[in-house]
Amino acid sequence: MFALALVASSARAGLTTGMKPGKPEFKAMSQLAFAPEGVIFIADTKAAAITAIALDDTKPAAGSATLKAEAINEKIAALLGTSADQIIIEDLAVNPASRQAYLAVSRGKGPDAVPVLVRVKSGGQPEIVSLEKVRFSRAELPDPAPDSAPAAGQKGGNRRLEAITDIAYVDGRVLVAGLSNEEFSSTLRAIPFPFQTVARGTSVEIYHGSHGQFETRAPVRTFVPYKVGKEQHLLAAYTCTPLVQFALNELQPGAKIRGKTLAEFGNRNRPLDMIVYQKDGKDYLLLANSARGVIKVAAEQITPNAESITGRVAETKGLKFEKIDWAGVTQLDQLDNRYAVVVRTGTGSALNIETLALP
Amino acid sequence: MFCLRMRGGLKPALLLLACLTMRAADPAIHWLAGAVEVINVAAGESGVSPAEALVVFAEQEHATMVPPIAGTTRRSGDRLRFEPRFPFTPGVAYRAEFRPAGRPVVVARFRVPVDNAPPSTVVREIYPTARELPENHLKFYVHFSAPMSRGGAYQHLRLQAAGGEPVELPFLELDEELWDPSMTRLTLLIDPGRIKRGVKPLEDIGPVFELGKTYTLTVDAGCRDASDRPLAAEYRRTFRVTAADRSPPDPSNWKVTPPRAGTCEPLVVDFDKPMDHALALRLIRVRGESGNVAGEANLTDAERRWTFVPQHAWPSGAHAVVVATTIEDLAGNNIGKTFDVDLFEGVQRRIATPSVSVAFTVE
Repeated sequence: MFALALVASSARAGLTTGMKPGKPEFKAMSQLAFAPEGVIFIADTKAAAITAIALDDTKPAAGSATLKAEAINEKIAALLGTSADQIIIEDLAVNPASRQAYLAVSRGKGPDAVPVLVRVKSGGQPEIVSLEKVRFSRAELPDPAPDSAPAAGQKGGNRRLEAITDIAYVDGRVLVAGLSNEEFSSTLRAIPFPFQTVARGTSVEIYHGSHGQFETRAPVRTFVPYKVGKEQHLLAAYTCTPLVQFALNELQPGAKIRGKTLAEFGNRNRPLDMIVYQKDGKDYLLLANSARGVIKVAAEQITPNAESITGRVAETKGLKFEKIDWAGVTQLDQLDNRYAVVVRTGTGSALNIETLALP
Repeated sequence: MFCLRMRGGLKPALLLLACLTMRAADPAIHWLAGAVEVINVAAGESGVSPAEALVVFAEQEHATMVPPIAGTTRRSGDRLRFEPRFPFTPGVAYRAEFRPAGRPVVVARFRVPVDNAPPSTVVREIYPTARELPENHLKFYVHFSAPMSRGGAYQHLRLQAAGGEPVELPFLELDEELWDPSMTRLTLLIDPGRIKRGVKPLEDIGPVFELGKTYTLTVDAGCRDASDRPLAAEYRRTFRVTAADRSPPDPSNWKVTPPRAGTCEPLVVDFDKPMDHALALRLIRVRGESGNVAGEANLTDAERRWTFVPQHAWPSGAHAVVVATTIEDLAGNNIGKTFDVDLFEGVQRRIATPSVSVAFTVE
């Protein structure tokens, strides 16, 4: 999950255009993202769909926006009537309009798991967000390989799924990164929003140009929009570790996007979440990794002419980065200009949610 | 509790009835299938709302101040009934509290019994089944006999070289884990950074597979199925690593053995090397003169042989095996394109067409 960390977005007229009241259906809630005006996007890997909901949560909540709740996973499990080892916190996103933290939660870990959207109030208590009657619209993700219809009579039904690893809203489009559970392919789709009747969007393949010699399809793990000069770019972290940049306007139908490799952080860094924020007038990138903690990168190094890493690197090369001592982070999003919200490991199996000052 | 003493002559049943109607009963909490009820809620105890009067908690390991379980509480007559929004979970310690106004709280605890059936889920198969894999092998599919649980899959997998040293972090670890919708199949991707040539992770801790070595992939019994039970047994697969495969699969090298007209004999296609199990079953079709032929495909011979049994007898005439170019061999090479493209060698770009056909005649 990323945050709209750029300048406060000017209100985009009609983001809720086309939404109709009702009860949206979910098989899973895999990733969350926000647009302005309290619009939340919920990506559903099992249904291969993105649902946009106009939450009735557009004003900052009363009381402090900072947050600290220990064992939030246990509190959510208690609310859902089960034990903490039977829930999974899938994603965290902060609503920039209200600065409230939302969690996509799976109750159960098997094929019948029930998805639940939870809001964490400033006192640290979770509550279920009712989706019984909300205004929403929905886009189904197009099959990226339409020529692969299952062989007639294939038993067991279609087993192919595309795991949605990250979503983001930028400039009237929802970007969706997906990784297939069969063919080794990673796609990035851009779906115009508000969703149109036929919301198919463009799909591109991301190639990782490793050191100028070999390139292959690369699974995007997490990404964040970032303006370089006047142009909207995406910074993406691949599952094979490097940090890559490409321009948003490269997302043309059928394009093969070759990102510019900006940095290699070394093997054991498996990227989870990225945000871009400002401090003292400068932009910084904060990247949370599964095993190695959190990394801070001065974004001014990412210029329009940033050198792509094209040669072999003996050690970490490229952007200079700083390790931040935030241990055990599993989810990261931005709260406002001063704070981030994280979910991180606490005592034993407890997961805590708290705000931390941006470094 | 008191009873009216009745003089002799009255039947004992009447005596009992008299006792019951005169008794001031205490409220009591009962657990029913899927709900919690308080009975004997006297009229005077409606000072608080039902939701405040009957509260149920799922007790947790560390946290003490936890919210009550989401659900609805209704009052009907002298009963309060709480129905949880989600079903009670076996093994969880539940605590119900009946909090009447001005009277002591009544507490009751219960657990839904855990099914103590012995573990029964096992790994049914791991694809590829070939006992020799290329150095740049890309993927495994682990098939389980029953639906599984998510979370922690990678902790229960081990890849060891002969001699016992485990390979460090061989698989791409994703929070999502790559399950199919039924959660009976788990896809494991070898971390591509450890395969792709010239990429840092390869230089960091080396490749996953090394030519000539023998490896064992172990799925330990700690994997939990959807009923939260471990596997009934550990599963092991041993294989030897051969030279890297960087040649795109080429259907023109495949051997097609046509069936005879009027029969339901299988169509047999022999590949020139093992193909990816899931993709070979999904991306190969048979086309006849009147469109796609309905039938069932299977893979045998360590995924080197594809057989197709039609639903109806084969008509005579021209047919074709149609293969999507996104099909992969074990190293992830597609038709017309290798997994990693060496720009300096000027390898030809991916074929623009989505599929290729191999024609055959049924006679």
